[in-house]
Amino acid sequence: MIATLRQMTTQGTPYLFVLPGLVILGALLSVPLYKVVEYSLYDNVIVERNPTYVGLDNYTTLLSDPGYWSAGLNTVVFTVGSVLGHMIVGIGLALLVNADINARARTFFRSMLVLPWIFTAVVVALNWQLLLNPFGLINYVLQWLGLISEPLDWLGNPDYAMWALLLISTWRGYPFIMVSFLSGLQTVPKELYEAAEIDGAGFWHKFWHVTLPQLKPVIYGVALLDLIWTFQLFPLVWLSTGGGPGRATEVLSTLTFRLAFVDFQFSQAATVAVSILIISAAFTLLYLRNEARRV
Amino acid sequence: MMKIRLRAWALALATTLTPLASQAGEIEWLQWFAAEETTGFYDKLVADFEAQHPDITVKLVTQPFGKVRESIVTDNAIGVGSDVLGLNMPWTKEFLDIGILEPLDDYLAREDNSFATDDLIEAPLGKIDGKTWMVPLNAFPFVMHVNMELVRKAGFDAPPTNWEEFAAQAKAISALQDGISGIGMPFSSQPPSNGPILTFLPLLYANGGRIMDGTTPNFDNPKVVETLQFLKDMNDAGSIAPGAASRTGGVDLEEFIAGRTGFLISPGVHSSSITSRNPDLDYTLVRVPSNGEKAYRVHGWELGISADSDNKEDAWTFVNYLLSPEVNAKAAVAANALPGNLAALDAVREGADETLIKQMEILEGDTPVEEMRQSPKAAGSWSVMTEELQAMLRGDKSPEEAAAAVQARWLELAQ
Repeated sequence: MIATLRQMTTQGTPYLFVLPGLVILGALLSVPLYKVVEYSLYDNVIVERNPTYVGLDNYTTLLSDPGYWSAGLNTVVFTVGSVLGHMIVGIGLALLVNADINARARTFFRSMLVLPWIFTAVVVALNWQLLLNPFGLINYVLQWLGLISEPLDWLGNPDYAMWALLLISTWRGYPFIMVSFLSGLQTVPKELYEAAEIDGAGFWHKFWHVTLPQLKPVIYGVALLDLIWTFQLFPLVWLSTGGGPGRATEVLSTLTFRLAFVDFQFSQAATVAVSILIISAAFTLLYLRNEARRV
Repeated sequence: MMKIRLRAWALALATTLTPLASQAGEIEWLQWFAAEETTGFYDKLVADFEAQHPDITVKLVTQPFGKVRESIVTDNAIGVGSDVLGLNMPWTKEFLDIGILEPLDDYLAREDNSFATDDLIEAPLGKIDGKTWMVPLNAFPFVMHVNMELVRKAGFDAPPTNWEEFAAQAKAISALQDGISGIGMPFSSQPPSNGPILTFLPLLYANGGRIMDGTTPNFDNPKVVETLQFLKDMNDAGSIAPGAASRTGGVDLEEFIAGRTGFLISPGVHSSSITSRNPDLDYTLVRVPSNGEKAYRVHGWELGISADSDNKEDAWTFVNYLLSPEVNAKAAVAANALPGNLAALDAVREGADETLIKQMEILEGDTPVEEMRQSPKAAGSWSVMTEELQAMLRGDKSPEEAAAAVQARWLELAQ
């Protein structure tokens, strides 16, 4: 009996040290989550002193609201487009900065290409607004090249606004992917490339048959992480377009903010937030399964 | 040993209670004014007040304009709201629905106030639900800023006074060269997406139109459609700077300061930014071109008291101080605005710069208008207006269709 108690004390001590941290972390995660779900079950909260419990009414309203589905579709387009953009640019630049060139030049390019990741969303949004302005540099260059005949309002025209936003998001988000792939590339055994070269493989054959298969686990994990982050991205969209023009770039995160702080419909905002949570949780489970498989 | 312990406990208790004791006469003033007047004027104002009222301390809480509205709501919800609130008239109805504001009628009726209620600018005092909810610290009339160099280059001697001259001059300025436009329309969806209330409403009021019928939206009336048509015609003529749907109010001001637009419709207070940032600009300001109607849009910095404040008396003492003619005149001059207390007008004239004096001259006798305070959901309303005006300028909707769409969506919002 005494031996068991002593064993419990010895083995349990480390858990006691971890306990305060676990309790604080648990509370910080679970309380807001619980409150958001709870808010979504009332007619309105925060601005309503005596909220009425309405069960799942907000969810029913949301599912019959065309604005929600439109924002949902925009979210899918924005997320998939951004992740694809990040992947293509990230892999391309990772291959370039992994090239066997002068070490100083390589360090310089690696540092420069990581810069977009360092800037805050406000700086990124403001800079791109200036670049994409009808009198901005991009319109000037495109006109000079003869690709357009008159300046375009990239962020103010519903036909182009989402494309412009994807460009901004790609520029902002590729460095993380680039760095991840760069570390992945450095783990690919050189013998594989040597063997492929002996077999007469060129650059593209080596890329498709050696690099990509070797990077597959990294690509899958990083893509899922990027998907989770981009799906709920708010500041860059809000600061670049405000969801406009009209609602052409309204995504679920900006819809949540609009409902909460423009319309003061906090329960409806909580309902949208819960829907984002459910979808993000599904992606997170996929990611965790992938990580567990790799281990 | 016991004595030492008791002393330690007493010291700890005293330390704990000291902040509570000092909070008894402390009030908090949440506003954005000090963010827009960066010379430290408001810190000095608070210090002067505290010197005259040693039993009251004022904690100045400054946030950007775009953040104050949501802070007032969320702070109120969790019971940590400020005592004195910097307010914007369009927020009134929304805040009343939430129960944030204290009615001020009893305070205004006091005989020992430092001001006469009749001297205060009328618009913010207008009763809603039978009560007065805010008082004016100052007022910003909307005017038209003019780049005289571009006007002259376009072949005109004087700024436009009516819509016909306005349309002709804006078109001629736009024809000068690439990159120069007659006027900008800041109709971006970016928050606070309030471009139409900055540009369209001043034109509408100068045309004798209104958008509200009491607290009921009235957007699809002939005057509104006529004003929308005027904007559309200007746009079709190429007089409006390209990119209205992505142009923010800040960019619009910057473009004028940089000399790339001939005209800018905005609050008169912007004259100080214009003259200080580009002293070489050949600049003047005039009344917004009208169709014979002498009415101008006005907005201002208002003051209210939180309904949940535990220090309402101290809060009123502070508001009363700010509205006294002497202090109010100083606050108006610091913000380059008209005073909320019109008894301070003469004192303001003495300290005002030439652009403020000009505003006072050109608007004397005109009718100030502020309708957004009647709107049930002001921020949502102007966002809707922005979206529909974007669609109209894009050519997706006619002025009639845009007006009808705003009306329908406003009625839906009001419900």
